[in-house]
Amino acid sequence: MLFNSIGYLVFLPAVVLLYYLVPFRFRWMILLAASYFFYLLWRAEFVLVLMGATLVSYYAAVRMGKIPDKKQRLKYLLITLAVNLGMLVFFKYLVFFTDLVNQFAGIAGKRPVIPWMGILVPAGISFYTFQTIGYTIDVYRGVVKPEKNIGIYALFVSFFPLVLAGPIERGRRLIPQFHAEHSFDPQLFTSGLRLILWGMFKKVAIADRLSMFVDPVFSNIGYFHGPEIAIAIVLKMMEVYADFSGYTDIAIGSARLMGFRLSPNFNRPFSARSIAEFWSRWHISLTSWLRDYVYFSLPFTFRGRKVNWRMNLNLVIVFVLVGFWHGPYWNFIIFGLFQGTFMVIANVFRPLMTRFNRVTGLDSAPRLLQGLNITATFLLICSTAFFFGPHPLHDSFYMILNLADFSQTGHAILLPLLKNGDLLLGIVLVLFMLWFEYLVAMKSLASKFLCKPVIIRYAAYLFMVMFLLAFGVFSSQKFFYFQF
Amino acid sequence: MDRKILFFKKLLVFVIMVIALNALLNIVYNRRMYYFRLSRQQDEQFEACPDSIRYLMLGNSHNRVDPAILGPGFSYIMPKEVYAQTYYKLKYILEKTNKRPQNILLSIDPVNFSPRAENELSFDGYWRKYLDYFEIARESNDPGYLLNWLSGNFFSYAGNYRYVLMSLQFRNADMQVVKNGYIPARDYRNFAKERNREALGFEIATVYLSSYGRNPVLGETKYYLKILSLCKQYRIRLILLRMPMSDEYLKYAHRMVDLEKLDRAIVTLTRDHCNNFLLFDYRNEFHGKPGYFFNADHVNPAGAAIISTKIKEELGKKQ
Repeated sequence: MLFNSIGYLVFLPAVVLLYYLVPFRFRWMILLAASYFFYLLWRAEFVLVLMGATLVSYYAAVRMGKIPDKKQRLKYLLITLAVNLGMLVFFKYLVFFTDLVNQFAGIAGKRPVIPWMGILVPAGISFYTFQTIGYTIDVYRGVVKPEKNIGIYALFVSFFPLVLAGPIERGRRLIPQFHAEHSFDPQLFTSGLRLILWGMFKKVAIADRLSMFVDPVFSNIGYFHGPEIAIAIVLKMMEVYADFSGYTDIAIGSARLMGFRLSPNFNRPFSARSIAEFWSRWHISLTSWLRDYVYFSLPFTFRGRKVNWRMNLNLVIVFVLVGFWHGPYWNFIIFGLFQGTFMVIANVFRPLMTRFNRVTGLDSAPRLLQGLNITATFLLICSTAFFFGPHPLHDSFYMILNLADFSQTGHAILLPLLKNGDLLLGIVLVLFMLWFEYLVAMKSLASKFLCKPVIIRYAAYLFMVMFLLAFGVFSSQKFFYFQF
Repeated sequence: MDRKILFFKKLLVFVIMVIALNALLNIVYNRRMYYFRLSRQQDEQFEACPDSIRYLMLGNSHNRVDPAILGPGFSYIMPKEVYAQTYYKLKYILEKTNKRPQNILLSIDPVNFSPRAENELSFDGYWRKYLDYFEIARESNDPGYLLNWLSGNFFSYAGNYRYVLMSLQFRNADMQVVKNGYIPARDYRNFAKERNREALGFEIATVYLSSYGRNPVLGETKYYLKILSLCKQYRIRLILLRMPMSDEYLKYAHRMVDLEKLDRAIVTLTRDHCNNFLLFDYRNEFHGKPGYFFNADHVNPAGAAIISTKIKEELGKKQ
């Protein structure tokens, strides 16, 4: 069931209604049943994988809770890591690794060593395995106490707003909310509805509209040249942002309807002034997860000249993992490698850049400097977007090599595209989205809006709903991040 | 408690406002949308035409065969029509009316069989009277098709702002131009006068054929086979048409997919399931003659007249 489907428009109100109607002690059961039903609709057999991940991490956490000695707890942590990562590798990465082995065999002049295996990837596996791993590490570290109620824990892993594409929640944040009694809060409920509406707008009116132009370019890249590729790359980044942040808004909004507060996943990433800042604003729940559970676990020290070298190496390792998390393709690995490398370069050249800004006087014009930094960061992110997708690697190189090819402008493919109302509308809506999110974040638009008379608020909501209906693309397109 | 009751009252008022405004927009759109006005005209004329129809033109806007030239017949084509819609319309005609076509003229091009066409059901406000969305959803195991039923009945305008703009542009259009159901080919532009013909051809080829991917195989065939089955059941001869396409479109179509391979597959499929059909291939009929096109893949009135005449002559020879 997709968030942007009619089914969800029936499912969500039904669950919310039931949730508030039943006594508090039964509420988690309603949510658990609804979450498993929601997940079952994708593919019944995937539920077994979800249950497996839940049971193993639950058992390991409970056992760890009974052992005071950290060293003795380690074996349970290793078991849960082995099972959860094993499942992730088996379902998501096995094909990649077998291909790799076969390719090496091919280079050595041998036949494929391992036969090709068609394995379906269970929906949301990258998200819920990270959630269970994070939880068991927290229990191991003694940051959280293990959850005794297996039903509540199963709900933490499978909660329907986040099971398919996050945000990747922490046990210490979400589990206590399942224990707390949420009385109906009109304000939180309205803010949830607003977020759902905004998320739908981003998905249906922007992301799906942009995909009408981006998808044909990426699936027939050989026919396109400089200007079209450049436009497609920029639009792809916008599409992915509108799609994934739209999904997250609907997820957070859906949870708010029942009184739950999920972690934010985006914070206007295109206003970032550096690559490091970009990743603190984009898919926050993933990057903070990797920071807390991988980066800080990698061996490095904070002293001496050697230190920076190790820290930078760790940074690259983490970002290669970020890339690889997105999918078992070389494209994503290279994407992550670029992100990490850009950050290392920024770290190495930071003193030089500070001096440059001082000498040129840029530091006395902070707005100009900020604008330049935002533009440079956006261009750098776009320059790696060639590798962001499961398309063949040679298509990515084709795009890079042909980016400066203006020889085919005789075809003037841009002109009919620009004449097309859908593309222009898509671009206008992207600008509106960025501007609106700026207003909400910087000018406290939401709180100002709530002070307006009810008639103005109703008119604004009504306009938004009608705009969505009139200008949306209703072809039930899947969310981009579901593939991860 | 009072706060909660007040909130629910406000929510109820808002929901009623949304429903009322939506109903209003839905009614206005269904009444005023340009294609719906044309189709109502078609429906009225179809009701009035004799029960025995010699030539019935079905399919999408590529099929511009004029019954006034061809002979006694009726053109029941609809822009953007896909085979699922053609099948249900034909089924409706055969099972729920007294009309009996003897020949059905249907355009067959790879675009009709592309994976993209599989999921394309448009103008549901019009098609809801023909299509059995529940059957489609059941057969395709995709409840998403129920959305089309819902949108057809209650949200006809949703996502169709371009047709709203088009309807405004053609608000004073003369509906009397529809004769025997035939919607005249568009002539307010001429492809020969377009500066970017190459780009336009490329754009259409990309939109239509990119969904085939690198190894093209026929995507949508289920409803085509159902059409063949209906024709067999009611002893209707099928006249399959490859309508003319511009050189610019064909240039990129050939690069994007193996057109010949797809053509062969379509013919084989037809031969395997139908024993009473003719195939007229006019795809390259206007090679080097962009003046006969409205755009890269649609003939204009002059082109339509030539093709209609050619079909008439061919059919004359066959009889």
